[in-house]
Amino acid sequence: MRKIAWTICFALVLGLGAASARDNPQAATADSLFREAKLLVFDKDWRAALDKINELVDRFPSSPLAGQALFYKGECLSGLGGRERDALRAYKSYIQLDDAKPSLVEESEGAIVDLAFDLFEEGSDPALRDIVSRLEHPNKVVRYYAAYKLSLVSDKKEAAKAAPVLSRIVVTEKDPELLDRARIALLRVSPESLKSAEDRKPRTVTTARMLRIRVRDGSKREPSFSLNIPFALADLALGALDEDDKAAIRKKGYDINKIMNELVKSKESILRIAGDDGSIIEIWID
Amino acid sequence: MDERKNMPSERRAESEAIERLLRETEAVRSEIREAAASVDWEALPGLIADRAMAADRERRRAEAAPGRAAWLSALWMRPVLAGLAAGLVVGAAVMYFALRAPGGRAGRDEAYHASGEFLDRAELEMARRNAVDYLEKSQYVLLDVFESPEEGPVVPAAVRSERARSLLQKKQYLNSQLERFQMAKAKAICDQIEMLFRELAQLEGDLPAAELGRIRDYVEERQLLLKINLVKKELQSGV
Repeated sequence: MRKIAWTICFALVLGLGAASARDNPQAATADSLFREAKLLVFDKDWRAALDKINELVDRFPSSPLAGQALFYKGECLSGLGGRERDALRAYKSYIQLDDAKPSLVEESEGAIVDLAFDLFEEGSDPALRDIVSRLEHPNKVVRYYAAYKLSLVSDKKEAAKAAPVLSRIVVTEKDPELLDRARIALLRVSPESLKSAEDRKPRTVTTARMLRIRVRDGSKREPSFSLNIPFALADLALGALDEDDKAAIRKKGYDINKIMNELVKSKESILRIAGDDGSIIEIWID
Repeated sequence: MDERKNMPSERRAESEAIERLLRETEAVRSEIREAAASVDWEALPGLIADRAMAADRERRRAEAAPGRAAWLSALWMRPVLAGLAAGLVVGAAVMYFALRAPGGRAGRDEAYHASGEFLDRAELEMARRNAVDYLEKSQYVLLDVFESPEEGPVVPAAVRSERARSLLQKKQYLNSQLERFQMAKAKAICDQIEMLFRELAQLEGDLPAAELGRIRDYVEERQLLLKINLVKKELQSGV
């Protein structure tokens, strides 16, 4: 009962073409089918939503909504699981439409990359072409996402193909979130490319370049944990420290932000924190 | 000789001594002549200069040696002082190696490196922060659209549409991360908001007041803003 009420409510919300629908009974039906399908997508009722979309396309093949429904068909097939190839076809058909909406095209491109990634990881090698070909896409949103996703594939040789685009993001991009993602992705696939990209960026006198962390167990010479990363990721790195190490730092009365400020001020000095278990945490920047 | 016999004994002894001296002098003179004949008088000045300088070096070395010997001897004689000095030297060396930045030890440590496990943790931390950021920004957009139905949204339609599109782009990255790190609750609420943003991103004109009211009711009934706050708090506290 509650679900029906919501469906009616949201149908009203999405009833933006209601006025034109009153003038044309067939359009009204196509509209109502489309709205119902969207509501079902919203509730992740993929099977029911797909039925509505198929009905819309079958009954009103010439309706402009039949084209738009392709995007939602892709969503349904993707959500159902096991229908990745069909979903891929639906999204690819949608982006070919002349009246495709730019925001939905971007989403479709992202969905194609996601589906290709899943198919490749399941053993379908040709699927990777859908990601690699998008590294040259004119829309940077698509290009960046393809590079990010490619960096995550388990085949390291293929993943390394993302390095040039990721390096360009590091050098040219201003958005801190995208920058951090690109840095981490590059650390994963090609740390040397990250070093080279960071070195190409102009450096101010006060900007530190590298954060180094070592955790040594007792008197062992080789660290049990070793990290060299761009200083820009310092905050994230300290946030991502092992919980035990973070607890040791807190227990000693250190505040992570203070640590970083102190280290930035006294460049190249080193902070040593001795844990109760005999481990030594060393943090320094240069 | 006869005369000497007639001399008093004191004078005789004196005469004999002089005679002996003269004999010896004659012997030395012949040796000098032999030696002089063997000397290369042209090379002699250079040889003298060399020897003089060598002598000077030796003298200086000799002057320094007693001090060092005295220092060593003092330590040899005072084990406590020796121990103290050795301790200072060793201590200074240990301090140097221990307190200088480890990175300075060798040029080999200049490359970036991080383990896969660490990168996963960093990405998880990033997912947590980005999800909080996404939810906060979503709140602002939803509040702008839904909080003042009488006056309508404060933000122009084009800007609102652009913001919604930007949030959809962020959501794309978030999807991968939230799925990978099994942050199901955050994923569920982000998915719900995504649908609304998809609609907003496609709208080019202003929403009619009636439509705004209906959407507001929908968001209130679903308690989307409350859910956003709860999930945000959970993510902020690292739950």
